[in-house]
Amino acid sequence: MATTIIETGGLTRSYGDICALKPLDLQVPEGEWLSVMGHSGSGKSTLMNLVGGLDRPSAGSLMVGGEDLLALSEDGLARFRREFVGIIFQQHHLVPYLTAVENVMLAQYFHSVPDEAEARSALERVGLGHRLKNRPGELSGGEQQRVCIARAIINSPKLLLGDEPTGNLDHKSTVMIMELLKELRAEERFTVVMVTHNQEVAAWGDRTIYLDDGVLVREERTNS
Amino acid sequence: MVAVKLIPQLISWFGIVLVLLRGFPGLRSVVTTTSISGFAIGVSGAFFMFRSLPAAIPFGAVKSALGVSFLLLWGISVAAIYRSTGRRVTISSGARLVNTSIGAGTGAVLAGIITGLVCACRISGTDGNFPKLLFLVLIAGILTVIALAVEKRLPASLTVSPSGMLTAVVALLLFCSSSSLRLDLFSPLSMKVMKGVHDFVHQFMESVLIPDHLFVRSVVWGYIGLLFGKEVGFWGGMIIWFTPAILIALAINFQRLPSVAHIRQGARRRKLLADAIRNKRMLLITPLFSLAIFAAAAYQSSFPSVEYWDPKPEPVTASPSGEIFIPKKGEINLEDGKLHKYLFKQEGKEARFFVLLSPAGQLTVDLDACAICKPDGYGQAEGSVICYYCKTLIPLDTVGKPGGCNPVPIQFTEKADGVAIDGMTLLNAWSSTVRATARVKEGGK
Ligand SMILES: Nc1ncnc2c1ncn2[C@@H]1O[C@H](COP(=O)(O)OP(=O)(O)OP(=O)(O)O)[C@@H](O)[C@H]1O
Ligand SMILES: [Mg+2]
Repeated sequence: MATTIIETGGLTRSYGDICALKPLDLQVPEGEWLSVMGHSGSGKSTLMNLVGGLDRPSAGSLMVGGEDLLALSEDGLARFRREFVGIIFQQHHLVPYLTAVENVMLAQYFHSVPDEAEARSALERVGLGHRLKNRPGELSGGEQQRVCIARAIINSPKLLLGDEPTGNLDHKSTVMIMELLKELRAEERFTVVMVTHNQEVAAWGDRTIYLDDGVLVREERTNS
Repeated sequence: MVAVKLIPQLISWFGIVLVLLRGFPGLRSVVTTTSISGFAIGVSGAFFMFRSLPAAIPFGAVKSALGVSFLLLWGISVAAIYRSTGRRVTISSGARLVNTSIGAGTGAVLAGIITGLVCACRISGTDGNFPKLLFLVLIAGILTVIALAVEKRLPASLTVSPSGMLTAVVALLLFCSSSSLRLDLFSPLSMKVMKGVHDFVHQFMESVLIPDHLFVRSVVWGYIGLLFGKEVGFWGGMIIWFTPAILIALAINFQRLPSVAHIRQGARRRKLLADAIRNKRMLLITPLFSLAIFAAAAYQSSFPSVEYWDPKPEPVTASPSGEIFIPKKGEINLEDGKLHKYLFKQEGKEARFFVLLSPAGQLTVDLDACAICKPDGYGQAEGSVICYYCKTLIPLDTVGKPGGCNPVPIQFTEKADGVAIDGMTLLNAWSSTVRATARVKEGGK
């Protein structure tokens, strides 16, 4: 049995009166690919932000990769994000005036020191070897999302979070991205937690949980 | 009062403890106990030296200890820069000692002793007594406890290399001693440099270069003249003063980063590299900060913060027989070892003089002027008087002897209850001295 990489107990996040996440108990074993579904406003992004150390819970316990995120200082949380987590968003959040390779190097810089050769090979791995010197504006949505993947995995995270990474893509691009992620996961053995509205995308995972109004209402194993 | 006078010394002490605590990680209790005991030993050692020996000897001893520490820093800095060029120097046995309790204890006790000596010198030269010194040790102890608390709060990444620690400790020792005229190393250093350059240039000219001055063009003499300027000593001194700290900073900067090429995972490789780079930057902070301390020490040395004992001249008159009598006991105690100044006026003439008990227990009466300078007078510093005009320090035990910038001694008769001086002798001595020095000034060059 694999060790548990994410473990929450009564995890809660409220914004004033709005309780975005009701007490949630969730375990994710290391290496699993977990899909998170639910309609808009159900608390999916809230959960992702908590697990990724971007936000702090209102109550409950939250252990990720053996670290108690509630006990970490701001510095500790920043280090956790730098070294442990890779995140891909629906909006790509690439720096518009930097080239693809520079965008990846920026992530290296925040982590440790930039290494151009390594950044290039990461982009080659996601199939962008020929677009290294292009800026995000000169890339298609799918290509931009691949730069994001290269950026997310450059620091060898143990946990890859995706918040609707394929939300803006057509079917063909979506399949390409999902296949790429699957390949990378096979090589790097990171754990994936991916939020999606798309049943088909969810099916790439090992397990799907459904949130409704901040409550885990249902979960099912996918047979892939 | 003691604490105020010793502010630079106490700041240095605080800094030294802080650096030692950082430099010997995991040896907090050893460093704390040995450094404060060293301080106490130094203070009491100075106290007994001042009681049993002439003042010049303890000052000389402390100055030598400071000189040795500076030479040690020079040695280590040269070794460090030599090593950083990649050559193997086996100082591994020494390096291994550094992080044992023996190494830490020895370093801390030595630093403590020297600081204690300097602090005690600062007050013992004039008015040291046992309770005062005890109080001093107490303050040092309190500062040590504060340093312990502060050190805990410093960021853990701020590490100090052994050479950086030595640089900072020596810099702080020199800083705490440089405010004391008789312990200062920078002034004598620049003086020596100036003298050395002069002698060398002189010899060189005489023996090889110049058969006859007439053949050398004035431009050349202009350049040679530069070597005789006062700046030569200052800048030469500065170079010798700052070089060790610069060398140690350079040695740290030249240190090769660990080889990480064999690590396959990029993130781990970069992480190790980044940590090494960061560590190197942190190690550089101490020697670079020490440069500022060296600068402060040199600054203090040029503007020593000594409060001179400089009493207002007391007017005196002569008896009908022409004798000036100054009682030993009265409003003032003539034999308290302090300078007592008097002003004698008669028929439009005047003379300024002082009475002083020498460390050997001899009373002496001298003009408040010397045979070579403008009669600006003297002030009393630790263990010496200083000529205000040329800033020469005259050790107390040579006051009363004629010559150079020493105060001009005056004949007097010592009686049981005071000293008697002949008024006319005094006035004549004053006017001839003043006339002579005035001529020197105008007709001299
Ligand atoms: N910073 C915030 N301040 C106040 N309320 C917030 C904040 N962030 C989220 N919320 C509220 O919390 C609830 C859950 O938001 P969340 O972003 O987690 O939804 P979601 O499941 O990601 O929705 P979507 O699918 O539309 O992205 C929503 O009602 C939202 O309005
Ligand atoms: Mg969302």
